[in-house]
Amino acid sequence: MISQIFILSSKGDHLIYKDFRGEASKDSINVFYEMVTALSGDQPPVVMTHKDHHFIHVRQGGLYWVASTKTNPSPFTIIEFLNRLAALTKDYCGSLSEKSVRMNFALIYELLDEMVDFGYIQTTSTDILKNFIQTEAVSSKPFSLFDLSNVGLFGAETQQSKVAPSVAASRPIMSSRGEQGGKNEIFVDVIERLSVVIGSNGVLMKADIQGEIRIKCFLPTCSEMRIGLNEELNIGKSQLKGYSSAVRVDECRFHQAVKLDEFDNFRILKVCPSQGEQTVMQYQLCDELPCAPPFQLFPSVEKDYVNRVLIFLKLRCDLPPKSTALNVSITVPVPKGSVSMSQELSSPDQTAELQPKSKALLWEIPRFPGGAQLSALFKVDVPGLSSASLLEVGPVSMSFELPKQTCTGLQIRFLRLSPTQTGLSQRWVRYVTHSDSYTIRI
Amino acid sequence: MTDSKYFTTTKKGEIFELKAELNSDKKEKKKEAVKKVIASMTVGKDVSALFPDVVNCMQTDNLELKKLVYLYLMNYAKSQPDMAIMAVNTFVKDCEDPNPLIRALAVRTMGCIRVDKITEYLCEPLRKCLKDEDPYVRKTAAVCVAKLHDINAQLVEDQGFLDTLKDLISDSNPMVVANAVAALSEIAESHPNSNLLDLNPQTINKLLTALNECTEWGQIFILDCLANYTPRDDRESQSICERVTPRLSHANSAVVLSAVKVLMKFMEMLPKDLDYYGTLLKKLAPPLVTLLSAEPELQYVALRNINLIVQKRPEILKHEMKVFFVKYNDPIYVKLEKLDIMIRLASQANIAQVLAELKEYATEVDVDFVRKAVRAIGRCAIKVEQSAERCVSTLLDLIQTKVNYVVQEAIVVIKDIFRKYPNKYESVIATLCENLDSLDEPEARAAMIWIVGEYAERIDNADELLESFLEGFHDESTQVQLQLLTAIVKLFLKKPTETQELVQQVLSLATQDSDNPDLRDRGYIYWRLLSTDPVAAKEVVLAEKPLISEETDLIEPTLLEELICHIGTLASVYHKPPSAFVEGSRGVQHRRIPPRAGSVESAESPDVGQSGSSEAPPAVIPSQGDLLGDLLNLDLAPPTSTVPSVQPSMQMGAMDLLGGGLDSLLGGDIGGSPSMGAGLGAAPTVMPAALGGAPAVGGGLGDLFDLGGGVGMPTGFYVVPKTMWLPAMKAKGLEISGTFARRGGIIQMDMSLTNKAMSVMTDFAIQFNRNSFGMAPAGPLQVLTPLSPNQTIDVSLPLSTNGPVMKMEPLNNLQVAVKNNIDVFYFSCQFPLSLLFVEDGKMERQVFLATWKDIPNDNEAQFQIKDVHLNSDAASNKLQGSNIFTIAKRTVEGQDMLYQSIKLTNSIWVLAEMRVQTGNPNYTLSIKCRAPEVCQFVYQCYEMVLKN
Repeated sequence: MISQIFILSSKGDHLIYKDFRGEASKDSINVFYEMVTALSGDQPPVVMTHKDHHFIHVRQGGLYWVASTKTNPSPFTIIEFLNRLAALTKDYCGSLSEKSVRMNFALIYELLDEMVDFGYIQTTSTDILKNFIQTEAVSSKPFSLFDLSNVGLFGAETQQSKVAPSVAASRPIMSSRGEQGGKNEIFVDVIERLSVVIGSNGVLMKADIQGEIRIKCFLPTCSEMRIGLNEELNIGKSQLKGYSSAVRVDECRFHQAVKLDEFDNFRILKVCPSQGEQTVMQYQLCDELPCAPPFQLFPSVEKDYVNRVLIFLKLRCDLPPKSTALNVSITVPVPKGSVSMSQELSSPDQTAELQPKSKALLWEIPRFPGGAQLSALFKVDVPGLSSASLLEVGPVSMSFELPKQTCTGLQIRFLRLSPTQTGLSQRWVRYVTHSDSYTIRI
Repeated sequence: MTDSKYFTTTKKGEIFELKAELNSDKKEKKKEAVKKVIASMTVGKDVSALFPDVVNCMQTDNLELKKLVYLYLMNYAKSQPDMAIMAVNTFVKDCEDPNPLIRALAVRTMGCIRVDKITEYLCEPLRKCLKDEDPYVRKTAAVCVAKLHDINAQLVEDQGFLDTLKDLISDSNPMVVANAVAALSEIAESHPNSNLLDLNPQTINKLLTALNECTEWGQIFILDCLANYTPRDDRESQSICERVTPRLSHANSAVVLSAVKVLMKFMEMLPKDLDYYGTLLKKLAPPLVTLLSAEPELQYVALRNINLIVQKRPEILKHEMKVFFVKYNDPIYVKLEKLDIMIRLASQANIAQVLAELKEYATEVDVDFVRKAVRAIGRCAIKVEQSAERCVSTLLDLIQTKVNYVVQEAIVVIKDIFRKYPNKYESVIATLCENLDSLDEPEARAAMIWIVGEYAERIDNADELLESFLEGFHDESTQVQLQLLTAIVKLFLKKPTETQELVQQVLSLATQDSDNPDLRDRGYIYWRLLSTDPVAAKEVVLAEKPLISEETDLIEPTLLEELICHIGTLASVYHKPPSAFVEGSRGVQHRRIPPRAGSVESAESPDVGQSGSSEAPPAVIPSQGDLLGDLLNLDLAPPTSTVPSVQPSMQMGAMDLLGGGLDSLLGGDIGGSPSMGAGLGAAPTVMPAALGGAPAVGGGLGDLFDLGGGVGMPTGFYVVPKTMWLPAMKAKGLEISGTFARRGGIIQMDMSLTNKAMSVMTDFAIQFNRNSFGMAPAGPLQVLTPLSPNQTIDVSLPLSTNGPVMKMEPLNNLQVAVKNNIDVFYFSCQFPLSLLFVEDGKMERQVFLATWKDIPNDNEAQFQIKDVHLNSDAASNKLQGSNIFTIAKRTVEGQDMLYQSIKLTNSIWVLAEMRVQTGNPNYTLSIKCRAPEVCQFVYQCYEMVLKN
């Protein structure tokens, strides 16, 4: 049972405080803030205890979302709930920031009142909540081009033309009530996260894809939406037959509102999206990539003079020629004693630097077209270099974004609203693959 | 217009200004003013002075304003109880409002105002709202009962709200059901003995139906409630499992974990050979794996839970090793947890993969993680024998890197590897010695010193090495000092001539110049040993070391059981029982996994499993039980006993020990259990039976620890004198005689090996052919010293019943192969079936009756046991010592009928009816069993036990 919920700014200011069970005092906010700021890096921050008081928190939008309890509840429930609370706040207030929370405190109190009663979670569904909520949201900057709150998710698209502007998806869902201000829009995003480990011999050792289909809906009423996936989508390990070019995932999970009666035969998801953001399907694929891994690295590490290591990296992008990888960054751990580095890069838009704190060199490439190959030479000065310290070079880790790409090959064939909505409704489908953990061993 | 202006700094007259605004006529202005008040309240300013003014705004039909006022009330009512009364009338009126939103709001808020005077007024409106036509109001009212109970429990009971709440479990709206369940669960926790949440198959069925319809959060309440239910039999638990399984694919991880908890608990009741059991195991893996793709916070919580699940049922995730490989961007706390699970899952099948990963980890940047990775390599070596060599060479590679902390960590684990595999990897000692100077941590220094001392005879300059440590003796930590002392004494015993001076030096350092009592005492002990009896010193200091265990950091089984019942809660993150961190009565209930339906030992009170142990201080009793078991095993069952039956004097000792122990353990309960009282008061001859009868005490004791198993057996089992199994003529001079015994629930094969040949025998090993009950050696044959001519050695071989099964003729035949350095010899022997009678073989009365009827009459066999001069009670006591349990006794016309049950290790039940006519030495025995072949052998056991 949740005893208290509070939201703190990153500086520890009290933004929202609600006590549900009257069993703890307001001092616990300060206790929590002291504990969380005193935490060292290797201590798990997830659950913290002070006397018989337990704090569970998540960080979203630069804020601490904290629940405290005195009983033995499920931390899963509380973490899921806090994440949901943050998402709902974002849905209702348009964006998630200290400012938007401050401005909409009455609305958030109202939401909390409906979501939790005496510490029992009641509901987090926008459909149910909208029946109860009276307060109007106050939006900070209705249409600002500088709103970067969604960079993590939609950052890739800002570089693309013919894509909905990223800010379009960050406005309050309820603000259009009563007036005809907002557009009737619906966004469907297919987001995949890729983790890959490539061995020192270039062999793919491990590959995982975690994917999800996320909807953000601004339609005031929407009876039913049909999302058609690839017809040849296979689920499970055993079902793959022959050598068809089928798309396969190991396992998938659905939002409980999704109706699956046409899924088995036609791979159609039927859902009545409620306003706001929700994940309709999550899926994963383990131990297998339907395509080649997007990057191959050919490294060589040598001892040059007495105190210098030569690191030569050749990086090839194995995407189809028309696609491009964005924001590629490569991190190579270097020996502990490294003091300085010089580099030879193949184009001026790339950068490289030695980061003394993390003992690694960072090579960044803003755009990397498919099929291209780039190389770089780094000379690292290490006083007192021994042959053992060459072992400290590696493994290389990479991060990147692949816009308009899914690694599983999952596609959305169509998006139908039925019955057809009166008035114009815009539908957007976007794909993006992020690197979750891409490691290449040397 | 934005709300942020409410937070602007306040000046002196602000309260005054607000007061004016609150009393304004304009609705908008009022609303703005209340908002400002609440903003001040949030940042911690005291605005309680405005209480009357805010309460005045309460009577409005604007819902938004009303909500704001209620928010204020909830916060300040407690500090102003007298003024809060002013609000009561409005509350009561609002509870009758035509708008359900307002009715619900009023009930919700009233419950949150924790003022005694108000609660009285709350009762009537609450009663109406519990029966409201609108489900939204009903679900709010259900929670309100829990609120009220928290403030005034007596009032709730007197007003009969609990019954209304129980009725709501059958409500048509799933949300109402979920809240009612949540409220009842919480109330029930503070009344552990009440039968509030009366879970019976009908209510369970209702809950399962509601489960499919309610919100994800409601599903969690219901699943958590289901987890407290104990199904009647395996069929019921299977059907619940089947209906809970679809929740595993829910997108909300909290629902998934609650479902996992229910399944893990109910699975315990399913027979393992059931197809469904296997299916269920397979279904559990994917959702657990999926949890690892969540954000790090959830991942961490999931990993802590998986750690428990892996300890309980490693088979679920044994093929999923790869998902626990760390990613470079995992936070360190996630990495460490993953590493822990990797080691637990390591097996021969995946060890190559695991080692390759660990080696990678050992070169990472993070020091803590690297240390743990190196340690993990050592643990792999100890756990998977086949990999030991590769682990050692990996560790040597790592030592070559000369990274200080890697070297130290590697040396610490190599010490353990030496302990586990003595005399196997000494070749690496030279490499280790090279790194002596770089060791600066006490643990690594101590490990290195231990190695030098242990292998002093193989290290030429061992004395120099140890001497170098001695220079700074007083600056070392205690750990190192103790180790150094022992190592030098070892060295002295191995090379006495050249190290006399060194040992003198260390002994005087330890005894005269140190003020650490441990060190001084150890120094004196060595000194006296060495000066009085060097041979004894050698035996003590250089004694055989006990094996180190394969698994480390395992959670103690009873705690693990309890934690499994708390999967998905804070307890499973802390790995502590809830009672350790939750204050007061809430959550102190100890939960445990229900036993398999067939083996219910505490059958008298079926709900004992949940609440029975809550009265006694639970942390103490199990440990005391262990202690008793240990003492008895130590005193009464020496592993190489040659005495055919245990001596009476020892029994007396046992009785004293137990008598006191049990008395204090059981306290007042003892009077309530006739069999127990009689047993303790009776003569020593019936002692074993009385001990065996301990499970009959039921409730309190039987389910706390398996006393019957740990304590009853050593005194009770009748052991046949050893017979000749393999004559020397047939086996080139090796003679084996032996017998079987069951001690403390463990089957043992006691053998005397005699060498009648002229040459020394070594390298003994033993193997069994497949047999009817799958008996197999549980460990190697421990013949440690070579057997010289004319020497006899007694060994005791523990047996398990997990071996391959093949039906033998006769059924109890066992074919054995024994190998020594000369040849392999074969013999066969027959074991008494009573060896396989397990300690939890006491059947519940009803089950007995049903089973007796259920078994066809054709399976019944009748025997006569002649010339037994015991009365029925003495006979029943004696039988109980061999795990033949008397369930009921009936006396009809001077004839005693004893109804008895036996359970075999392979879960076959044998039921018996024994008729004893007073004055007649001949008993009639009827045996019924689904496998009638065993009857004959069961009869033999009866005869054997009763006549000896």
